[in-house]
Amino acid sequence: MINIDNEIIAHMSNPHNYGRLEDATSIGIGENPQNGEKVIIYLDVEERDNEPFIADIKFEAIACMTTVVAGSIITNEAKEIPFSMAEELIAVTLGMLESVPPEQAACSEMVAVALKAAMDGYSQSKDKEKKETLIYKIEQSCSPDLEFKQEEIR
Amino acid sequence: MKELLVKTHELWLVTLMASFMSKNCDAKRDLNDFSDIIFRHFTWIEKLLIKNNIEYDYNRDEIPIRVERTKVIYNNIIDRINTLELMLVNLDDEDLKFRIQKDLDYIKYIVSKLPDEEVSAFNANRTYKDIKLSKEATDAFTLFLFEESYKEYELIMVYNYLKAHSSDDYLNKIFQILVEESFFHLKRFGEMMAIMGILGVPRIIHKSLYQIDDVVEFLKDGIDEELAAKEQCLELSSAVAKDSKELAKFFDFINYQENYHIALMQDALKHYQQKGN
Repeated sequence: MINIDNEIIAHMSNPHNYGRLEDATSIGIGENPQNGEKVIIYLDVEERDNEPFIADIKFEAIACMTTVVAGSIITNEAKEIPFSMAEELIAVTLGMLESVPPEQAACSEMVAVALKAAMDGYSQSKDKEKKETLIYKIEQSCSPDLEFKQEEIR
Repeated sequence: MKELLVKTHELWLVTLMASFMSKNCDAKRDLNDFSDIIFRHFTWIEKLLIKNNIEYDYNRDEIPIRVERTKVIYNNIIDRINTLELMLVNLDDEDLKFRIQKDLDYIKYIVSKLPDEEVSAFNANRTYKDIKLSKEATDAFTLFLFEESYKEYELIMVYNYLKAHSSDDYLNKIFQILVEESFFHLKRFGEMMAIMGILGVPRIIHKSLYQIDDVVEFLKDGIDEELAAKEQCLELSSAVAKDSKELAKFFDFINYQENYHIALMQDALKHYQQKGN
C-alpha cells in the first residue's frame, strides 16, 4: 500500500490539475487492460521556439486514489515545459517503475502513457483539422523499457 | 440553466463540507439539512433541463475549501448563494424560481448568523478520537476514507442520473434508496475525515461513469464492486480490531450494510432484465 505522508495527503485531498481542459489541443488516454481503469490527459499545446510546449495540462482518472496522486504529481511536473522535457519526464517515470510495488507502478505508468498518448496525438495531427485521441495500454509487467502500443485511434 | 445546475452542485458540496468542518452541533445540523435542501434544488433543476431537452453533465469547477475559520467558508457559501440568485432571475419556471429563492433566502440568513469557529479539518493529525493505531493501520484507514468518500459521491451522482433519466417507478424507488444509502455513508466518512484532519472535496466524476449505455452491465459491475468493498471492510476491521473495538465495529457495520446494497442492485438487475430493457 502507498506510504502516506502529509505531501501525499495534500495530493489526495486536493489533486493538482484535476478536471477537464475545455478546448484542449490534444487528449490522450492511458488504460489498464486488466481492470479497465483509465487516465485522461488534456493538453493545451503552443508552438514555442520551433517546439511544442505544454502551456497547460489537466487530467481525469477513472481509477484508484494512488493513480490520482500520481496524476497530480506528474502533471505538476509536466506543466509549462517543452515536449523534449516532457519526454524526459516520461522516461524517468517509467524508469522508476521497477523500484515501486506493482500496483503503484501500474498507476504511475498509466499517467505517463496517457501523457505520451496526448503528446503523440498532438504531433501526429497538429496540421489536421480533426484531432486524434490516442489510447495507450499499460504493460501488465510494468516493464521500464516499455514499448508503447498504439491500441486504437478515434 | 446549465450554469445554474453547476453552481448549485458546487454550493451543495461546499455546504456539506462546511457541515463536516463545524464542531458546533447546531451549526452542523443546520448545514447538513441545508446541503440536503440544496441537493434537492439540484435535482429539480436537472429535471427541468431534461424536460427542455437541454444536454448537461455533472462537470464542475474544483472547489477550494481549506480555511482556518468557519466564518470564511460561511462567507463563501453566502457569496455563492448571491451568484445563484442572480442566475435565478433568468429561470422561466416561476414556481421553481420562487421555491428555490425562498429556501436560499432562509439559508443565507441562518448561515450569516452561525458562530465562527477554528477549523481543524485540514490539520492532517490523522488520529480518530483518542484511538491509537499503528502507522500501517492509519495509512489503510486514511486511504479507505479518501477512496470511499469519492466512491459514495460517485454513486450518489450515478444513481441520481439514472433516476433522472428513468420513468420506471420500481427502478426509481431502488435508485432513490441507493442515493440515500450513499448519502449516509458519505456523511459518515466526511465526518471521520474532518476529525482526522484530512477533509477533501471528492474529485469531479467523469461523465462516462454516469452516462451509461449498458445498465445491466453497470449493475453487474456494481454488485462486484460492493462485494470487493465488503472484503475491504473485513480486512480493515481485522487490522484495527486489536487497537479499537469502536472502529472494528464500524467497519463490520459498513460491511453488513453492503449486503442491503447488493440486494437492491440484484433486485434492480432482475427487474431490468424482466422488462427486457
